[in-house]
Amino acid sequence: MKASFLREADFKPWLAELMTTQRVVGPVARRSQFVFADLESADDVRLDYPCTILPPKKVFFPPVQDLVRFDGNKFEGCIKPVPTVLFGVHFYDVKAIDQTDLLFRERNADYNYLAQREATTIVASNIQQISQRAFWDSVGSEVEPKGHDAFLTKVDGGYLLETRTPRGEALLKQGSFRDASAAELDLARKVNQAVMGKCPEKLKASSKDIAWKVRAAFAKEDLWKGLAVDCFSCGSCNTVCPTCYCFDVQDHWNVDQKSGARVRTWDSCLTSEFAQITLATGGAENFRDERGERFRHRFMRKAAYLNSKLGGPACVGCGRCSAACTSDIADPVTVINKILEA
Amino acid sequence: MSQAQIHQHDHENIFLPKRARIVRVEQPTDAERHFTLRLADDTDMAFAPGQILEVGLLGYGEIPIGFASSPTRKKTFDIVVRGVGRVSKAINALKAGDLLQVRGPLGHGFDLAELRGHDVLIVAGGIGLCPTRSLIQYILDRREEFRRFILFYGTREPKLQLFVDDLTKWRGSKEVEYFETVDRSDPTWQGNVGVITTLFPKVKLDADTRVVICGPPVMFRFVIRELDNIGISREHIFVDLERRMKCGLGKCGHCQINDKYCCVDGPVFSYASIGNLEEAI
Repeated sequence: MKASFLREADFKPWLAELMTTQRVVGPVARRSQFVFADLESADDVRLDYPCTILPPKKVFFPPVQDLVRFDGNKFEGCIKPVPTVLFGVHFYDVKAIDQTDLLFRERNADYNYLAQREATTIVASNIQQISQRAFWDSVGSEVEPKGHDAFLTKVDGGYLLETRTPRGEALLKQGSFRDASAAELDLARKVNQAVMGKCPEKLKASSKDIAWKVRAAFAKEDLWKGLAVDCFSCGSCNTVCPTCYCFDVQDHWNVDQKSGARVRTWDSCLTSEFAQITLATGGAENFRDERGERFRHRFMRKAAYLNSKLGGPACVGCGRCSAACTSDIADPVTVINKILEA
Repeated sequence: MSQAQIHQHDHENIFLPKRARIVRVEQPTDAERHFTLRLADDTDMAFAPGQILEVGLLGYGEIPIGFASSPTRKKTFDIVVRGVGRVSKAINALKAGDLLQVRGPLGHGFDLAELRGHDVLIVAGGIGLCPTRSLIQYILDRREEFRRFILFYGTREPKLQLFVDDLTKWRGSKEVEYFETVDRSDPTWQGNVGVITTLFPKVKLDADTRVVICGPPVMFRFVIRELDNIGISREHIFVDLERRMKCGLGKCGHCQINDKYCCVDGPVFSYASIGNLEEAI
C-alpha cells in the first residue's frame, strides 16, 4: 500500500507515542530468552530477537481465559477487548495468526478470540537473527502472511514501514515518517530476501508432497511407536506452538463458593487424557491411548489434516516445539524427513 | 440436510448458556438419571434428533449429552445423565425445580430425509438408547413417513435397561418390531441372552434398510460385520459416535477423529463418510 521511512533516532519516540494511546505488546528480553510482553518502556523492545518462548497468539487466545463468569445462578460473558498494537511479529508468526483467525472464525465464530483480534493492530517486523531450530524458509512457502497491518524492516539508518491496511496507515500519524524512496523500498526487499535460505534446518520435500506422504504413513504403527518412544506426554510441543489452538474448559469457584468462572486453558493433544471419555463407573475409553497415536495425531494435524482448509500446512517452521521438547523428539524437520525416507 | 443442522448462532459469546429448569427426574438405574427439562424462558428447544447439547452446572462444568426425546414432543426435552464424573454426579444430585444451563443444539443429527420412505433399523447398546430415543420417538410420532421400523436394544444386565415404560410399550406395539437382549441374565429375565449381534438371526432384513447404530465403541464393528453380510450399503449405515466433546463447537480439538470434529461434523456420520478413517470405529 504505502512505504514510509523512519529515522533510527525517531523510532523510540514513535513507539513511546503509540504507548500513550494504546496497549503495546512487543518482544522483550527475559534473561537469555525473549517473550512477547506489554511494553513498559520503548527502550525494552528487542526487534533483534531470534524467536520468543511463547507465540504471540496469547494476545487473543490467552493461556487462561474466563469465558463466562457466574454468581449463584446469574452468569455473563466476559468479552472485553482492549485496543492493542502487537509489535514486532515475525512473518511465520503472522502466518500462524492467519490460521487461528480462520479456525476461530469458521463455523461457530468465537468472539472470545475474535473480539481481541479485531481490536489488535499487528506490526510485523523483519527477522534480524535466525533461531537455531528454525525452518520457516522450507515450510508452507505457498502461503503468504496476510494478517498484519504493517511490516517494519530495519535498514541502514532507520526503518521502512510498509502499511497494508487503514489501521496500519493510522500508525504513521504518531511518528515522524516521510515517504520512502524506491531505493529504500528495494533495500528493505533485499534485507527480507537475505534471510531466506539461511535457516539451519530444512524439510526435504514440498508441503504438498509432505501432506500426502505423512497421511499415507498413518498405518505404519512401528514407525510412530519408534518416533514417540521417548515422549513424556508433557505437551510442551503443543504449548509453544503458534498454530495449536486446542483448549480445555473447566469451572472454578471463587473462595466464596458462590461465584466463579468457566475458564478456558490451553490444552495438549499429546497428554494422555486428551481424548479420553469416562464410561461406566471406573471405566474409560481412550481414543488415543498410546503415545505413538498421540504423536501421530500431532503430525497429521500439522502436516495433513488441516491443509485443504488452510491452503498449506498447519506448521510455520518457527522451531519452538523442537527447542521446547524435553527429549528432543518433536522436531518436525527430523520427524518429517524420517517419514519421507521410510 | 437442513433439519439435521440447526445451529446456535444467536449469541455473540458462543459459550454463553441458556437456563433450563428440571421438570421431572427419574432414576432408571443406580448410575443414571432421566431428566425432563424446559427452557427457563419457556421457548421451544428447536433441535433435530441426534443433535447434542452441552449440559452444564455453573461451578462444575459442562458435558455433552444427546437429546433423549424427539422435537415432535414440544415444550420439554429429555436427557439421561450417567453419574461418572465431577459434572455428571453434580447434575445427578439436582431435583425437580432446580436450574441448570444448556448450550445447543449442537452438531449434526440423523439425516431424516435419508431415512424417510425406507425400512429403518436402530441398533442401540446400553446408554446408546438415549440419543436414539429421540429418533425412535420421532419415527413413532410420524410413523407413516417410514416403512418397517425395527429396534434392537442390548444391555449388559436386565437391571441396566433404561426407559422401562417405553420398553413395555414397544414390546406390545405393532408400530415397531422390538428385539432386546442382555449380555448376562438374572432370575428376572426370560428374554434373549447374548451380545446384540445375536438378535440378527431373529429378523429378516431387506438389503435396502437404513440402519442407525449407537452404543459402546466396541459394538460398532461387530454390528457392521452383520450388516455387510446382509448386503446393506455403507451409505445407508449411520453411526452416532461418542467422543470427548468439550466445546461442542468444532474448536477445542478433543473429539477429533482424524480430520473430522465429532461435535460439528457428527456426532451422526454416514459410515461411508468415516469408514475409511482409521480412528473412527
